[in-house]
Amino acid sequence: MATPSKTPPGADPKQLERTGTVREIGSQAVWSLSSCKPGFGVDQLRDDNLETYWQSDGSQPHLVNIQFRRKTTVKMLCIYADYKSDESYTPSKISVRVGNNFHNLQEVRVRTYTGPTSHIYPPKNSPIRTFMIQVAVLANHQNGRDTHMRQIKIYTPVEESSIGKFPRCTTVDFMMYRTIR
Amino acid sequence: MTVLQEPVQAAVWQALNHYAYMDAVFLAERLYAEVGSEEALYLLATCYFRSGKAYKAYRLLKTHTCSTPQCRYLLAKCCVDLSKLAEGEQVLTGGVLNKQKSQDDIITEFGDSASFTLSLLGHIYCKTDRVAKGSECFQKSLNLNPFLWSPFQSLCHLGEKLDPDQVFRLSSLHIPVAPPPPISPAQNPSHRLDTALMETPQDTLELNRLNLESSNGKLTSDSTVSYIDSSLISPDPCSLLANTVSMGSTGSLLGKPNKPKSGRSLLGGPAALTLCLQSVSRIGPSKSVFGQSGNGREVLPIPFSQSQGSAPHSSTSPQVLSPTLVAPPNIQPRRSTRLFTSASSTAKENSKKLKMKFPTKIPNRKTKCKAAKTANSNLNESLDILKLDSSMNDSKGLSTPGYQSITLQRAATDMVLYMLRELGRGYQALCCYNCQEAISILSSVPAHHYNTGWVLTHIGRAYFELAEYTQAERVFSEVRRIEAYRVEGMEIYSTTLWHLQKDVALSALSKDLTDMDRLCPQAWCVAGNCFSLQQEHDIAIKFFQRAIQVDPGFAYAYTLLGHEFALTEELDRALACFRNAIRVNNRHYNAWYGLGMIYYKQEKFSLAEIHFKKALSINPQSSVMLCHIGVVQHALKKSDSALETLNRAIGIDPKNPLCKFHRASILFANDKYKAALQELEELKQIVPKESLVYFLIGKVYKKLGQTHLALMNFSWAMDLDPKGANNQIKEAIDKRYLPEDEEPVTEDFLYDSAADVEESSMTDADDSQLHTAESDDVL
Repeated sequence: MATPSKTPPGADPKQLERTGTVREIGSQAVWSLSSCKPGFGVDQLRDDNLETYWQSDGSQPHLVNIQFRRKTTVKMLCIYADYKSDESYTPSKISVRVGNNFHNLQEVRVRTYTGPTSHIYPPKNSPIRTFMIQVAVLANHQNGRDTHMRQIKIYTPVEESSIGKFPRCTTVDFMMYRTIR
Repeated sequence: MTVLQEPVQAAVWQALNHYAYMDAVFLAERLYAEVGSEEALYLLATCYFRSGKAYKAYRLLKTHTCSTPQCRYLLAKCCVDLSKLAEGEQVLTGGVLNKQKSQDDIITEFGDSASFTLSLLGHIYCKTDRVAKGSECFQKSLNLNPFLWSPFQSLCHLGEKLDPDQVFRLSSLHIPVAPPPPISPAQNPSHRLDTALMETPQDTLELNRLNLESSNGKLTSDSTVSYIDSSLISPDPCSLLANTVSMGSTGSLLGKPNKPKSGRSLLGGPAALTLCLQSVSRIGPSKSVFGQSGNGREVLPIPFSQSQGSAPHSSTSPQVLSPTLVAPPNIQPRRSTRLFTSASSTAKENSKKLKMKFPTKIPNRKTKCKAAKTANSNLNESLDILKLDSSMNDSKGLSTPGYQSITLQRAATDMVLYMLRELGRGYQALCCYNCQEAISILSSVPAHHYNTGWVLTHIGRAYFELAEYTQAERVFSEVRRIEAYRVEGMEIYSTTLWHLQKDVALSALSKDLTDMDRLCPQAWCVAGNCFSLQQEHDIAIKFFQRAIQVDPGFAYAYTLLGHEFALTEELDRALACFRNAIRVNNRHYNAWYGLGMIYYKQEKFSLAEIHFKKALSINPQSSVMLCHIGVVQHALKKSDSALETLNRAIGIDPKNPLCKFHRASILFANDKYKAALQELEELKQIVPKESLVYFLIGKVYKKLGQTHLALMNFSWAMDLDPKGANNQIKEAIDKRYLPEDEEPVTEDFLYDSAADVEESSMTDADDSQLHTAESDDVL
């Protein structure tokens, strides 16, 4: 979990989950990497621990592939990178591609990030339905070769009310009657 | 060798009464090694079972033959506790493959413990899917012993409609014979019997008292007959009682050798009985009767009881028929003592039986009696009779104390049965989901009963089923204050807090319960609900699975787990969970609702409707359920029936805002804009802060072409939705023709500017875009 020193206030993805509007679905996907140093692989990327990280071990671009069993609505992707501890390993240019499989990925977004520690959210215009997402690190700070990525989380919008096609209720009075539990 | 047994048995029972299980087990093991009789076997098994080691008792009884009913009952109980239901059934009825005994045979065989045996058997049948037989067993058990709550509860759970007034009353079976007015000598024996019975610890006394009272209930002239055959293994409690009762009446106890007699018929018998009461221990006919019924015939006990029975009868038969106060009192002590003591002290009776043979050993019992007696207070007056017996040779006339005691006992019995009836009616109403009625019945019990955990928990549950969560929460917090150790019903409390979104209270409750009892499923259900409220569904799933592990027969845990899987979009697993819940408890309407909800999510509307209707058939008063059915019917294009259903829902519970909301949306879908608007205006008054209401109003206005009103309402909706990112609202606005001719708001505009992005900033930007014409009034 994020240690207080590392997480800027208001940027904690856990907070985001607690709002109930999004849900983390990384556990429903198959993750793979283009390369990694032994002991610094997918597990470290997905272990909810900002101290451990993925270190790539090949040539750029470094890729994180996320494949779902079924077409999933993805709303947001959160990547945690920490310039203070990683310096030249910190990714600076990230490209997000979506598609059905490795052969028909299309770039959705390219972002250049500067600056300090943060969670980086490359959100999309509206939630995208896809089978596969590829996060590519095109360049690092200070032109570093390999990259560290400490955590990636992927979010889907929460289905609205259990009945009817309406958006979420906002008051407790409404929500009380929404479902029988 | 019998000489050896008595003191040892007494010591064992004393240890058991003082919960010193290690001592009891050790002594019982020595006794069994020494004697090897079936009684010793039973005693040892009882020690194991009471010390919590059912498996030891099970293995012990399995390896040695047990033919006595007590042993078989204990073995069956161990089997059920170890979930070996088939074996338990075989022990009790002779097995699935062999010819099975009928329930009447069982009644005959087990005698006094027949009511418990039948209750256990009913439990086995219900768990093995033979519900009809199970309910029959429960009914019979209640007939035999109206003080048993668990068969009544099981029958209510099965959905049977019982009449508590009929159930909780003393039937003729229970009515003891009305002995003639007590004659001192006669009374002595009877008293002794009673006292002997009283030797058991206080609770037995309680029972006795109850017995007495219950016996008060129905004295019939009939009763005089038949008690005498103590030798009978008659299952008929009356007969047993009669024996005891008769004690009081006459002084001349004739000791009578075994007299096989069935039921009540005995009038003539008594005379034959020789009175060896004085010499015989007071074990009391009831006890001996029990012993006999349990273990076949014992000569000594029989004469004792018989003599008691007979003597009064013979001497007072004409009097017996007249229901005098005296008669009942005599009877009552016996009856109740018999009925209840037998239950609790059958084993003791066994031992006592033995003791009877050795009157000299009586002092043990006397001390016990005295102890027991002194323990009682009030109604002990009625038990005074018994106390009088404490001295074997005490032959005071008991008539006066007898009357008083009997009246008191009768009053107490009536009181208890009245309470059982009232609570039974309330519970029955709750199980049929007549919640208002249940609340009114349960609220009208006397204050000292009202302020107990059980009553308040069920009232709270009734409010919960009515979806009046604030009331329920109030009642449940009262329960927590009064009985902090109560876990039954806490899962309902936790769901109430979940609905009300009171996370602090819920997490406090969860911590408290899991600290208190880690082995009860309710605590884990509460913990799961707590994390579910915090949107941490994976952890909630883990806790619900733990609840299922702790108790696989707890249906609600499966239901809650199903809901969590539904929230994490794992619909197949959710379906499996709901089906499991239904497997455990067919009348668990929440699980039927859950199935319907999953099918609705999968857009299988007709399946959803079927399941919702099934849930509704179980709980016809749920407005939420009707609301859902209405929505499903609308999805199936049956809008008229949908509207009708929603009208019904609103009729049942006018406070349910969702019904009105859905009705408005259906009217909107059917192009009845005016009616929809009217509905929504009313709804605005009821729930002014709900963004959905404004959203729908906006859509209606949009359809009507009143764009400025629509925009106004959409912006209000967005304002009221603090988490923003409500795509539907934004989309609705975007599609509108905006007079300012602006581009639709996109997120790019916002995110490109900063590394840190906050959700709310987007909303602000949107607002600024839309802000042109509409007013900024926020309610």
